Parts: sequence; structure tokens; C-alpha cells
Amino acid sequence: MSLFTPEFGLVFWMLVIFLILLGVLGKFVWPVIINNMEERAAFIDKGVEFTQEAEKDREQAKADVRSLLADARKQQMDILQQTERMKQEILDKAQQTAAHEAKRIMDSAKLSIEQAKVEAELQLRKQAGLLSLQIAEQVIRRDLSSEESQMKLIDKLLNENG
Amino acid sequence: MRKRVLYIVAFLGLLLCTPTRGFARGEEEPGKFNLREVIFTHLGDEYSWELPGGAAIHLPVIVRDREGQWHCFSSSRLNDGAEHEGFYLAREGDRARKVVARDQEGNEYRPLDFSITKNVVAIGIGSLLTALVALTLARYYKRKRFKAPRKGVGFIESLVEMVYTEVVVEVLEKDARRFGPYLLTLFFFILLSNLLGMIVIFPGGANVTGNISVTLALALCTFVLVNVSGKKHYWRETFWPDVPLWLKFPIPLMPLIEVFSVLTKPIALMIRLFANMLGGHLIALILVSLIFLLGALGSAVMGGTIVISILFSLFMNVLHLLIAFIQAYVFMMLSTIFIRLARE
Repeated sequence: MSLFTPEFGLVFWMLVIFLILLGVLGKFVWPVIINNMEERAAFIDKGVEFTQEAEKDREQAKADVRSLLADARKQQMDILQQTERMKQEILDKAQQTAAHEAKRIMDSAKLSIEQAKVEAELQLRKQAGLLSLQIAEQVIRRDLSSEESQMKLIDKLLNENG
Repeated sequence: MRKRVLYIVAFLGLLLCTPTRGFARGEEEPGKFNLREVIFTHLGDEYSWELPGGAAIHLPVIVRDREGQWHCFSSSRLNDGAEHEGFYLAREGDRARKVVARDQEGNEYRPLDFSITKNVVAIGIGSLLTALVALTLARYYKRKRFKAPRKGVGFIESLVEMVYTEVVVEVLEKDARRFGPYLLTLFFFILLSNLLGMIVIFPGGANVTGNISVTLALALCTFVLVNVSGKKHYWRETFWPDVPLWLKFPIPLMPLIEVFSVLTKPIALMIRLFANMLGGHLIALILVSLIFLLGALGSAVMGGTIVISILFSLFMNVLHLLIAFIQAYVFMMLSTIFIRLARE
């Protein structure tokens, strides 16, 4: 059974060739391949890590932006509300002041009108007195025989003095 | 549909095959098919490499006779039973088709044979191919560095990844860098030799990994590596295992078993690869030979046998392709595990 008995020469050559192959590949080729594969794996790992970090950062930034935006909106609302309130306040105040002022002016106007009225009355009374006195003087000075002439005279006097 | 019909018709065309010429050059009876002869020439080693069409590459015969004299000549000088410098090819017996010589008393003996045989050349081709495969990948890495390889190089890389990352690193951990190159070389050499053996014509066709000398050398490498790199724990386990004292003291029963297991591991490696590959070749060969054996019964039988044989050998070859891969993987994986056990 020659198939089942090892042949010394063949074992020898096999060992020689295989060991040479092993020496050459083991020294120059496989280390290069293994190194490169490991470096690449590390590189990819780092890349993935970096991406994950970036993703996380991005998420964070997004959340930040969202909260900032919400804050800003809230602030805006607040300010608007405040403004509204202030406006209302100012308006109220202005109205109040205006009303007050108007009242004051009205009051003083009323007062001066009252005074003027009193003055005018006094004046009128004085004038009327004077007129009556003058008229009476002239009437007395003339002949006031007839009623007609009396009236005529009164008219005339009124026209003269009025 | 038309394509399928064409296939079926072409396949049935095999039925029309009829013998035109004898297949093997039987030595006892020219023209008659000799199964034993065919199997042994195809599975064994030879001093020349037959090419399709009857030509052959004659390889050098290097032998040393009993007097310590080295002889080196072309194997073509031994053709057809010719004798050269006292050497000739034995006809039968255990040394059939090997170079033998006669000493002074006329006894036939086997000289020290360092001939470059068909298998040696095939080993060389397998090694070159292994180197080529590894260099292709290394060259790609040098040029493109971190770029992912595609197609062929990508396939090589996935194999390297499968062997190194999935097995060697997983099993050996921090020792992976030290033993990785050996295991990778082992895997690729066995795989490529297995595949080359499946190609019928010249660069392939040699039964390299189905040859016990080759698997012996490979197993020897693993054996030496395992025992050289073995640590204290390994040797303690071997010679002073953790068993009751009476099992190891007056009569070293357990140490004996342990030492035996140290030897059986590489032997199992050797036999497994050898038997699997030899079996694959044997089945393919027998299925084809069946055509010629049954062909003697007439053309119709032969036609039928051709169809069945080809179907079967196709099936067996596909299976063998799988086995070629699995055996390379198993040899590498077991070597890894043995190294790991020795370095615990």
C-alpha cells in the first residue's frame, strides 16, 4: 500500500518548501497584512466613535438650540406682555391725568365764567343804574307831558346811550 | 425555457458517447482497463507529469545509492522500464513505480530518494500561489492602505479575516501576532493545494494534500510548534497531571496516556486531511472509471453509465469543493486550539 506509507524524500521537500514559504510570508507579508488590518480596524473604530460623539454633540446642540429658542420665545412673550401692560398703564395714567387736567381746567373755567358772570352782572347793574339815572335826568329835564313824547324820549335816549 | 431544453438535450447527448480509444496504458495487457493501475498512478506520486494529449513533463530524479553516490538524471530515461545507471522503476509490490536499484548480491533496494517528483512540483506551485495570494493583499494594502478592497482582493481579505480575526485572535488572544503567520500560511497552503488538486490538468491534478507525506510534514510542523511553545502548565499537565497519586506514581499510567495524546493530536490532524482528500479523489476517479469498467458490457450500458457517472461525480465534486475548504479550515483551527492548550 504505497499510498499509506510516507515517502522520506517527499516529506523532506515538503518541509523545505513549506518552511521557506512560511519564512518569507511570515517575515514580510503576513505582518504587513495583519498590521494594516488592525490599524484599519482601529481607524474605523475611532471613526465610529468620533461619529457617535459628533452625533451626540449634534443632538446636544439641537436640544440647546431648542431650549434657547423656547426661552427666547418665552422672553419675547413676557416682554410683549409687559409692554402691553405698560402701555395700558401709561394709557390709563395719561387718561387719568388728562381727565384730571380737564376737570381742573373746566373747574377754573367755570370759576372764571362765574366771576365774569358776577362781574358782568355788577357791570350791568351799574350800567343799568347809570342809564336809568341819565334817562331819568333827561326825562326830568324835558317836558314829559304825553305818554307818546315820553316813549319817544325814552327811545331816543336809549339810542343815544345804548 | 428554450435554454432549459437545450441543456437537457445536450445532457442526453452524453448518452451517445461511445468509446474510441483505450483510456489507461495498462502494462500487462495493452488496451485493457486496469482500475488498480489507474487509481495508483493518479493518487500516488510520479516522476513525471502527464499533460493532456499524451505529452509529459519529465522531472529530475535525484537518488543516493548504497555506496553514498548521488545520481541525478531526467525521469525520461526510466520510461518503459528502461534502466539508467543501475536504477529502474519497480514493477510491482510496495515499491511499484518507485525508483529502485540492485546491490551487489542482486537484491532490490530503495535508494535514498530526493527526486523532484510531481508532488514536489505541485507543492511548489501551491506555495507560489499562496505567496501570490498573500502578496496581492499586501501590495493592495501598501498602495491603498485603509481603502476597503473589492472583488478578488476583497475575497482574499475576507478569508484572512475569517482565519485571523475570527479564529486565531479569538482563540490565542495576545499570542495571535506570534502564531498568526504560521496559521495563515497553513490555511492558505492547504486550501490552495486542495483546490489545485481538483483541477484535472497540468498546474493542478496532483494529489498533494491527499498524500500522507505532505500531511505528515504539515502535522509535524504543528507538533513541533505546539511542543516548542508549550508552557509550564502544559508540561505539568502532560507529565504530572491532576489525578490521584496512585495513577501516576509507581506506574506512570496517566502520564503515559497524556504523552500518547500529545502524539495522537498531530497524527489525527495528519490522517484527517489525508483521508478526506484521498477519499474525494478516489470517489471522483472511481466514478469516472466506472464508465470504462461497465463500458465493456456494450455501448448502451456505457451511455447510461456516462450520464449517471457524470451526475454523480458532479455532485461529489461539489461536495469535495466544500470538503477542500472545510479541511483546510479544520486543520488550521485545530492547530490553533492545540497551540492554545499548550500555552495555557
